[in-house]
Amino acid sequence: MTPAPVRSPDHLTLALPKGRILEDAIALLSQAGLPLSMPEKSRALRHEFPGVTILELRNQDVPTYVDLGVADAGIVGKDVLTESGRTVYEPVDLRFAACRLSLIREVGATGEITRVGTKYPRAARAYLHSRCITAETVKLSGNIELACLTGLADAVVDLVQTGGTLSANNLQEIEVLFHSTARLIVNRAALKVRAARLRPLIENLRALTAP
Amino acid sequence: MTGRCQGASRMPGVSSSAARPSIRPSARAGFIPEGTRDVLPPEWSQREALRARLRTCFSAWGYRGVEVPALEFASADHPQDALAFKLIDSGGEVLSLRSEFTTAVGRLVRSRFPQGPFPLRLQYGGRLWLRAMTSELGRLREFNQMGVELIGVQTAQSDAELLHLAAAALETAGVQAQLEVGYPGFVDAVLEDAGLSGEARAAVHDAIDRKSGPDVDLLAAQHGLSDTVRGTLHAVTDLYGGPEVLDAAQALAPGLRAQEAVAHMRRVAALYGGPLLFDLGVSRRYGYYTGLTFRAYSAGLNQPVLGGGRYDLHGGLPGAGFAVGLERLMQALAPVLPPEPEVVLALDLASARAARAQGLHAELAWTDDAAQLRAFSAARGIRRWVSDSPSGPSFTDLNSAQVTP
Repeated sequence: MTPAPVRSPDHLTLALPKGRILEDAIALLSQAGLPLSMPEKSRALRHEFPGVTILELRNQDVPTYVDLGVADAGIVGKDVLTESGRTVYEPVDLRFAACRLSLIREVGATGEITRVGTKYPRAARAYLHSRCITAETVKLSGNIELACLTGLADAVVDLVQTGGTLSANNLQEIEVLFHSTARLIVNRAALKVRAARLRPLIENLRALTAP
Repeated sequence: MTGRCQGASRMPGVSSSAARPSIRPSARAGFIPEGTRDVLPPEWSQREALRARLRTCFSAWGYRGVEVPALEFASADHPQDALAFKLIDSGGEVLSLRSEFTTAVGRLVRSRFPQGPFPLRLQYGGRLWLRAMTSELGRLREFNQMGVELIGVQTAQSDAELLHLAAAALETAGVQAQLEVGYPGFVDAVLEDAGLSGEARAAVHDAIDRKSGPDVDLLAAQHGLSDTVRGTLHAVTDLYGGPEVLDAAQALAPGLRAQEAVAHMRRVAALYGGPLLFDLGVSRRYGYYTGLTFRAYSAGLNQPVLGGGRYDLHGGLPGAGFAVGLERLMQALAPVLPPEPEVVLALDLASARAARAQGLHAELAWTDDAAQLRAFSAARGIRRWVSDSPSGPSFTDLNSAQVTP
């Protein structure tokens, strides 16, 4: 690994999820005044800009990097943030990457829910607990809908964006656990130590995303 | 520990490690539990020097040292009960490993110093254990803290004393840090004035502590809060920065409790005199802290190096104090070793004594085999031997001795 270059004390390190959200995030952060541009397609995972370093991460890892202070701030979906259980500052709703976390069952399913497949076990357990449903959760990694269709689970808790996948697979949304959008998250110490850079960034992002 | 691991290690007749891919680390020689660590000589010296400096600093302010047991009776009332390691005593009683010092020192004060004299100034240092699921960067499961408690008084002067002492301790340690002051009771007063109670108040506390404007909006909608209240709650999440924050807080929250909190912070800040950061949106453990809370941030380390606040002991005795995390502080320090005396190899007891009298560290030769001694000296970084002679200790420089055999 190449060593990180020597940086000024007010250098910012930002954790961003790779993929589509990265483009939206970089566009928004540029509008908010950071000297960023979409990195060239390469295998680099760390992108250097004047006074800012971007770390390109799996979205589940963004809260970890920010909470532990390796990154000063980051952008991540509220769904992933809630599931991480990390206590970071989350001052701005960036209002993109909208989706909802929902309880989903096969159309017409009425039996008792005893097993729930999900990528979000923490959120699923909290929901089941709040509804007094005694069911076990099975942690899965992808194509969660299959758990319902194959009998692995009686229901799943998963993200819904448009609902297209659901109707194509004879599934229906029973209840929305919560709505999610991308959030700016900030390390608790970094907000204070690097206030001169982070406060204006927060103000600008609020102004840009105001409804 | 997964069920699969336990099952694998219980399988009879399976002993080769190749057949046990998920062998428990505890079964392998040389491993230590996750979240614990060994401290080796150069770092050990640095840590001990740091400990000595902090102890001396606390003592100079009149804080006398106490030690409390690492084994405690487990109690559901303990603030860290859910995270403490538990053990079963021979009589069946549940014990926990010490997970926090303030509670332990509070117990000691109640039983050993019921009459004070107050204010009682105590310092402590030692290990703590927390049973987290995993350990992480700077978050060990076995770690060291040193700290102070100022018990029996509850004045702006005593709050300011702790800020002064915290600054002195950080300076002694050689850490550049900024102190930040908060007041969880201020947030609670604002929420009380907004008519929030019960679970709703707890949820808004949590949202404000995370400075989550979006969650404040969500909760405001769920609990039917007015736009004015919602605006106030948003403003509270932004109440951090320099002294101007106190003016903003005073203008924002007209309630008596909130005004008193701000006035108290002004008194403490004036008595302290030095630069302070403020964050009036801090509300973590608002049910525990009864007054000021504070922490210290070191540039370049995105974790606080010191934290403390005012609380009530069981029985109502007021107390306040702070602790520094030794491992965190070491991270914030430049890895500079304290100057250490040269180590020499003494060929006999008399010369060793003489070398030590000169302030050197002397290791004793254990054999007459010069080749062995030379090999060891090279490996250990010893540059000089000392031996007794009629005229006193005589030093031999190994490098020059090898050049001229």
